[in-house]
Amino acid sequence: MQRRLANFNIWTVGAVVIILMLFLPNLTIVTGFFTPSNDNWEHMKEFVLRQFVINSLILTLATAFFTILIGLSLAWLIAQYDFPFRRFLKWALILPLSIPPFIGAYTYHGILNFTGAIQTTLREGFGMELDPAYFDIMNLPGAIFIYTMFLYPYVYTITQVYLSEQSASLIESTRLLGKGPWRTFFQVVLPISRISIIAGASLVVLEVLNDYGVVKYYGIQTFTTAIFQSWFGLGDLDTSIKLAASLMGFVIIILLIEKLLRGRRQYSYFSTKVRPLQLIPLSGWKGFAAAGYGMLILSLGFFIPVIQLVDWTVLTFGTIPMEEFMRYVQNSVFVAGLSATLIVILALIVGNFARMVQGKYTKLLPKLTVLGYSIPGAVIAVAVVTAFVALDGYLAPLYLAIGLETTLVLSVSIVLLLAAYIIRFFAIGYNSIETGYDKIGTNFRDASRLLGAGPTKTFFKVDVPMMKGAIISGFILVFIDVLKEIPLTLILRPFNFDTLSTKAFQYASDEKIMEASQASLLIVGISALAIVIFYKILEKEMD
Amino acid sequence: MKKLLSFLLVLGTLLVLAACGSSNSSEEQPAETSGEETASNEVNLYTARHYDVDDELYKKFEEETGIKVNLIKGEADELLERIKREGDATQADLFLTADAGRLHRAKEDGILQSVSSDVLDEQIPANFQDEDQMWYGLTKRARVILYDKETVDPSELSTYEALTEDEWAGRVLIRSSENIYNQSLLASFIELNGEEEAKEWAAGMVENFARDPEGGDRDQAKAIAAGVGDVAIMNTYYFGQMLNSEDPEEVKVAEGLDVFFPNQDTTGTHVNVSGAGVVKSAKNQENAIKLLEFLSAPEAQETFASVNYEYPVNEAVEPSELLQSWGDFKEQDISMSALGENNAQAILLFNEVGWK
Repeated sequence: MQRRLANFNIWTVGAVVIILMLFLPNLTIVTGFFTPSNDNWEHMKEFVLRQFVINSLILTLATAFFTILIGLSLAWLIAQYDFPFRRFLKWALILPLSIPPFIGAYTYHGILNFTGAIQTTLREGFGMELDPAYFDIMNLPGAIFIYTMFLYPYVYTITQVYLSEQSASLIESTRLLGKGPWRTFFQVVLPISRISIIAGASLVVLEVLNDYGVVKYYGIQTFTTAIFQSWFGLGDLDTSIKLAASLMGFVIIILLIEKLLRGRRQYSYFSTKVRPLQLIPLSGWKGFAAAGYGMLILSLGFFIPVIQLVDWTVLTFGTIPMEEFMRYVQNSVFVAGLSATLIVILALIVGNFARMVQGKYTKLLPKLTVLGYSIPGAVIAVAVVTAFVALDGYLAPLYLAIGLETTLVLSVSIVLLLAAYIIRFFAIGYNSIETGYDKIGTNFRDASRLLGAGPTKTFFKVDVPMMKGAIISGFILVFIDVLKEIPLTLILRPFNFDTLSTKAFQYASDEKIMEASQASLLIVGISALAIVIFYKILEKEMD
Repeated sequence: MKKLLSFLLVLGTLLVLAACGSSNSSEEQPAETSGEETASNEVNLYTARHYDVDDELYKKFEEETGIKVNLIKGEADELLERIKREGDATQADLFLTADAGRLHRAKEDGILQSVSSDVLDEQIPANFQDEDQMWYGLTKRARVILYDKETVDPSELSTYEALTEDEWAGRVLIRSSENIYNQSLLASFIELNGEEEAKEWAAGMVENFARDPEGGDRDQAKAIAAGVGDVAIMNTYYFGQMLNSEDPEEVKVAEGLDVFFPNQDTTGTHVNVSGAGVVKSAKNQENAIKLLEFLSAPEAQETFASVNYEYPVNEAVEPSELLQSWGDFKEQDISMSALGENNAQAILLFNEVGWK
């Protein structure tokens, strides 16, 4: 009891307020689940839903499997071994995240289709007439490949930071006890990095469930397709909200499973010496094999699509008015930077709260905030517009009092867009931060509190310094995600506010993928730059 | 560590300041301009067309009239939903989209107002206007059959319906039913032939597909070149774009194809429109009408035709040379509103026959 009271402070209040605010707009969707079903819903159930659900399951499960396979193996190599190009690969392996999956999907199709580089070369260079079906990427396996190549960095980053910074002493003890690399991996590394693997993989799963661009272009019908079909095609928002609510239910189940898998076990620092692992040098062919594997993944997820984008940019250069591009860059960096900063701050507050609370149910409360990530962006957009128009309604007398002549102020400003980003991407920042909190545990905080420091002082002096890796990776991930984001930005931006991604999307949706390449390339460039800059900062901090 | 913290702090502060700055300016703008005495000199457009050529036309409009065009570009349904949610307070003056079905839905949702203008009546034929003058068509887009010049003799082709016959088994290409152009196509058949026949047609098409639907319109043309199928249903302007592509390989593909206008002896070729309607609670109603008049005037219509390969609605304007080279054709004689009215039914039929 005393402990509970001690925890009731400004941090608790702040955290609960944040959680509620992030959850509120989703409430319209939760309630939608309970509305009575209509003819469209019955039609969906009868004709299409089964296939849509099966496709979605295959897509998410297979992608989760492959991203874990690739992400974890790379994280393990980078954290444990020294080999050629290791320092470069360490940060470069995150680069695929800078390519929006729908751009990746268009690009790979561009490379592989009949007029693409590969078939053209085979046909004209070698006179080979091959069955075009061999090169067809627009199918379920193709979509799994696309998602895997451009999303594995979620697993890789979170796991790599964890393995490199945290588990050193555990792994070294194992080595001292004479265990070989395989046993070390399966008996120690795999179990202790379970939390970060699941954190990363759940981001991947949510991203896949939510994505619309890739599956739409490749003609794969998923659960998200059903949501859009009922809303746009049938003009039946009720049914689509019902579907979105079902999706949300599914995500809640995933989150509960995650919780179960994580169990009660916690692995946190045992000593204050947080030092990186001593790297084992890989010599000879082993070193080359490791470097080759890293380079292969990096080529598939980054170099090959980028080369294609550069090629298209050269082809179309000069056909597109350029003078506006600087403004798109400014707008993109501005919204991405601001929302990433806000999300990291909010995630620190909520994460701190999650670590402190003891009750079984209160512990689940922060999980609610990640639901925003499970709902298709367009549906969130509608929920957010509704909420803000209502808010403006309450504030209208105030607006009139200060002499404004409009009653829509917040809902036509950039505040609306930022709020939507925060609801949508909070999960990304929060997952990083939560993993960070899990890692540092509560021992040091308790010590600090026992020595008389208040919660706020403890937070800044003890927690934040130990969390810098998590803070930085959280910031980068959100920054890049906002930079790539499509539906929210399209629907919620103020007048004349274009970003690089809206520009790229508009060309792509008109089947002008070559023209989309310039904006896409800028997105990739800025994201890559962000990755490099923040890694430099991180490295300096570590020294 | 301190460096990192202070860096984040400074970054955060700067961004917050910038946010306040930019949101303030965007708030003040409408307040200033909607002042009582000064006639407003802007128009707010929600548009689902993203073409660069549209931007050029807006710029020209600004130069000619001094009226500033403010834009939000997005997907039609989502923009529509946003206008609905914003209600009477919405800032949208004009809603522009590339499909008659959406225009009809906007009308049904009660977000458009009736507009009368002699200039519009003169420039836009009656069948490309809403009967209550809630919206006006601006460009026409024909959905035709593209065929492989080597493997198909155009004399084998006749109607959309004929593509479901046995001789076309495994030879027909078309994109997924999720696409609005296909939905409008089936909606037009529901209107012309009734629901039963429309469903039979869709089922027959699925039987004859060369492959499961995938990709966009251009991808169907490429599949012909790759030998996957022999005929594809496509919008004409994609063909125009491919013929004029920066990529020589695409040009090569397009040169192996030709346009066939189906149903010339029966119901006519399916035609859809891009069009726009003035929003019911528009604050800048007059400017919105001016913009409509500008876009349907000969100069803008010629630009649509020559840059974007769309057919002009204004009969005073000749289609561009390329469009003329494909020949004249008979269009479906139905009200554009029917495409919207039958849209939902079309989707249900697609699902029932398993057209992906």
